[in-house]
Amino acid sequence: MSGHSNKVHEHIICPQCDLLSRAPNLEQGHKVVCKRCGAKLYECKTNSIDRTLALSLAGLILALPAMSLPIIGVGAVGLLNYSSLLECIHQLINNGYQGIALCIFLFTIAIPVVRLFAATYITWSIKFNRVTPALLNFFRSYHQLDSWTMLHVFLLGIVVSMYKLVDLAELHVGVGFIAFVSLLICSTTISVTLDHHLIWDRLEQSLDE
Amino acid sequence: MNKTAKSEGLSLCPKCYKANAFVTGRHKCQRCNATFYQRKPRSIEYTIAWTIAALVMFIPANLMPIMVFTALGNVDASTILGGIQTFLKLGMYPVAIVVFIASFIVPLGKILGLVILVLGVRKGPGLKSEQRTKLYHVVEFLGPWSMLDVFVVALMAAVVNLGFLTSIEAGPGITYFTLMVVFTMFAAESFDPRLLWDSEKYE
Repeated sequence: MSGHSNKVHEHIICPQCDLLSRAPNLEQGHKVVCKRCGAKLYECKTNSIDRTLALSLAGLILALPAMSLPIIGVGAVGLLNYSSLLECIHQLINNGYQGIALCIFLFTIAIPVVRLFAATYITWSIKFNRVTPALLNFFRSYHQLDSWTMLHVFLLGIVVSMYKLVDLAELHVGVGFIAFVSLLICSTTISVTLDHHLIWDRLEQSLDE
Repeated sequence: MNKTAKSEGLSLCPKCYKANAFVTGRHKCQRCNATFYQRKPRSIEYTIAWTIAALVMFIPANLMPIMVFTALGNVDASTILGGIQTFLKLGMYPVAIVVFIASFIVPLGKILGLVILVLGVRKGPGLKSEQRTKLYHVVEFLGPWSMLDVFVVALMAAVVNLGFLTSIEAGPGITYFTLMVVFTMFAAESFDPRLLWDSEKYE
């Protein structure tokens, strides 16, 4: 068994092709690439905890205005109608498309917000040494959220709608648009700054003690 | 050092990326308590099932209108391809291309890519494992982008709501389209890229 435990601590495994490699010592800013399939195995990110905490807090603050303030509006013959993200969903429910409304709610509101909250909570706990065993389960679910965040697609959706509307009526851009773009920037950059391996190592260390 | 984790009796936890000494069957990660298997169980079967489901949904998604436009009593229902035609008629080529790629080429490409990957595990001729892994990355990356049209319709329906004069409503095709996108994402998630490498002898 001792041979096994050595391997467990000294090796890293490629998630894409299962190749076993020896774990190297890394400094901040370095990364390891799998020599068989080229997948990124490990990246030691600079100042990860602080940066992620700052960005995810900013994202949480921006989430409310981004969802409730009007994003775009149209005007024709004296009528003006603005719409926010929440109103989009409300309109779909009124039209009888509850399923689609639920999907849009999940992909653009619920999942991004939960993800930002999770990142804030985890980096906060690690920074101020408040690690509890429950954090293990909490951070485990975080990974699942990454591929279901669709803020970036919604932004492209806004741009395409603008093109469609320019032709139809007078187009107005609301404050919500700026809030939404800022939210998108925060939400995207935390996936760059958050260092999964570092967080798992920290959680493991502080729970072992 | 030319060994895979499987041949050494180790396995990677898919959640926290810790190397685990692996016995057999279901395993509980020593670090994060996640239960996992050495390879995703029935990965190929699940991938095929979701891909077929997505392909079936692709048909009504394109035949039924996704947007219903009412202007002064005139009702005009347009499908995905119909909407692109309108863009082309208006001379808005960049948007037409973006929408065409996002809502037609990408879903079809994803389904095709998944089929190639599934066949690749059974070692068909042609692509190398390395190229297949790249293909998997592309399929995974493209996942959410096809939701573009759904978001556009939702926004348009909410914004263009000027009483009886002009209004836009979502059409039934949008439901099938969303289902198709979600199904292809499930298919990509059920696929285990390590299967592409398992039969390979690495020296």
